[in-house]
Amino acid sequence: MSANFSAIIRATVFIVIALVLCGIIFEIAGYPGIQTFDAIIDGAFLRRNALEHALRWALPLFITATGVVISFRAGYFNIGAQGQFYVGAICAAFVAEWLKGYPGAVVVPLCFVAGTAGGALWALWPGLLRLRSGADEVITTLMGNFLAGLLLVYVTAGPLKDPSGSGQQASSRPLEAAYRISTSNGVSPTIIGIAIFVGLAMWFLVNRTAFGVLSGLGGRNPTMVQWQGASVWRIGLASFLISGALAGLAGTIELMGPNGRLAGGFLPAHGFTAVLIALVAGLSITGTAIAAFFFGGLASAALYLPVIAGLPSAAIDIINAAIALFITAKSRFVDRLANIWRRPWTTS
Amino acid sequence: MDDIVIAILRSGTPLVYVALAGVIAQRSGIWHLGLEGLMITGACATIVGTVLTGSVGLSLLIAILLCALGSVLFWLVVEILKANQIIAGLGLTGLGLGGTSLAIQAIFGSQGAVSAPAGLPKIGAAFGAYGGLSVLVLAMPFIVFLTWVLLCRTRFGLRLAASGEHPFAARSVGAKPAVMRLVALVIGGAFCALAGAELAAGSLQIFSQNMTAGRGFMGFAAVIFGAGHPIWATFAALFFAIVGAIGIRAQLVFGDRIPHDLLLGLPYIATVFGIWLSARLRGGARGATGGFGELKDP
Repeated sequence: MSANFSAIIRATVFIVIALVLCGIIFEIAGYPGIQTFDAIIDGAFLRRNALEHALRWALPLFITATGVVISFRAGYFNIGAQGQFYVGAICAAFVAEWLKGYPGAVVVPLCFVAGTAGGALWALWPGLLRLRSGADEVITTLMGNFLAGLLLVYVTAGPLKDPSGSGQQASSRPLEAAYRISTSNGVSPTIIGIAIFVGLAMWFLVNRTAFGVLSGLGGRNPTMVQWQGASVWRIGLASFLISGALAGLAGTIELMGPNGRLAGGFLPAHGFTAVLIALVAGLSITGTAIAAFFFGGLASAALYLPVIAGLPSAAIDIINAAIALFITAKSRFVDRLANIWRRPWTTS
Repeated sequence: MDDIVIAILRSGTPLVYVALAGVIAQRSGIWHLGLEGLMITGACATIVGTVLTGSVGLSLLIAILLCALGSVLFWLVVEILKANQIIAGLGLTGLGLGGTSLAIQAIFGSQGAVSAPAGLPKIGAAFGAYGGLSVLVLAMPFIVFLTWVLLCRTRFGLRLAASGEHPFAARSVGAKPAVMRLVALVIGGAFCALAGAELAAGSLQIFSQNMTAGRGFMGFAAVIFGAGHPIWATFAALFFAIVGAIGIRAQLVFGDRIPHDLLLGLPYIATVFGIWLSARLRGGARGATGGFGELKDP
């Protein structure tokens, strides 16, 4: 337990450093630092219905972030969650469009299958390139994000375009009400149920199965996995597919829940935030749930800030980025601080 | 024919500068995914600086200083705090993208595009049809050559490579890998500023949010494709630019028969192809470097 506690202290110290950096940036940009953070905390957790709003953002983020945990634990930097999220949403939208008119009980599950498969597919090709040829997945998944973004723009302005839509941003036709799994507030028993199911299943996968042990081992030392007689290839591919499928699932939820339609470039920071959540949580599933709620609050504050505090929503992007900059940092001084209650002669 | 070459040079020059920055960082042992963030900082500082001060030279200097500052921050995090380079680099990129959005919102009160009254100096009518290109395009081959000399033909370059490949050996001849990395990152930051300046002020004189659109990452991919060699990375960057130019050309030829957004994706596909090919030829990016995202002297 105390090892966990030190990890939490370590993370907290660096998050505070990141927030100080943000404060300096806000000050330079002419927004008073303290008041800015005050407004952000207010928008994230204290205003009316804040917890519900935080949950609306936290649930899809949690699902995507558990996928990131799975692939990072296996030692693969799949940072393509954004693209997999988009492709999942696009596939689900196509299914909903093709099966228009059929009852929701048939269409909704098929949309979920399509969305999950779409996300997995978008993780499959970087996975194959990585595992078969050794092509670095950081770059291929990043490029996959840009490609998926273009695909989304193309789909919303082309095959799925809403002809009645106006304004700068093209969007698809809205889903039929029967296919929606929540209203636009984004919190419904269905979504909460899916998130809980995913959380439990992934917790079990990571902590109670051979796959969890071997993939965690493979992330640190692939040779060990081979010595255990397991296939690095199979574990790696499964990690890619699971992480992609979960991002696709989150995309489907965003489409069929709060959004109700595809819009070009919607939720552009989702994937990056999910990566951040996984790292802040130290790649544990329980930690991911807590961190997802925190970042969900920040995401809901991003919408609230421009209206109430006159702050651009980029403020939240800056906070997220600064946390990313520092979250993997290590420092002997902070380690000493984190272990201050420990007797110096006890080992480890 | 001229207009295709001009288009390639216009879109390729920022990529080349960014790739050079990535090469210098990679040689010192740092996989620099923050290039994108530094590049957009350079682009924003050049345009906003020109609007506010009226002087392109001064704002280019400001851009270089800001990018050097960002590089020092990245160095602190990666070298002193031993953070994972990939995540910290992505953080730096996010900081650049978010920071520039915040900056134009704070200065101009809206998040729309900002256009500057003046751009980088043009190379002039003496070059005929190419006269509209900026001086940074003209300087590009010389800077590539100078970088090659610096990295491959000087004692400094050798020590830099040693700091990346075998820090203990570098230390044994008196080089300080940490300091070498700081120097490498600051030089790279200056190149990123030039890349951003060329992108924003080279021809259009406009800055808009997220205008780098992954070019920093493409520059990074050019480093891998070019095996960390300045000349080869330059060719890799130009290859991505050529594919992009072909896409734009195809748009003119095919019109609406091929969707415009999908042609825009060609450079990204070329980048994936480049990464795949270099992995095939050289047994993977990590084969050459060992641990990815970690320094070799923890």
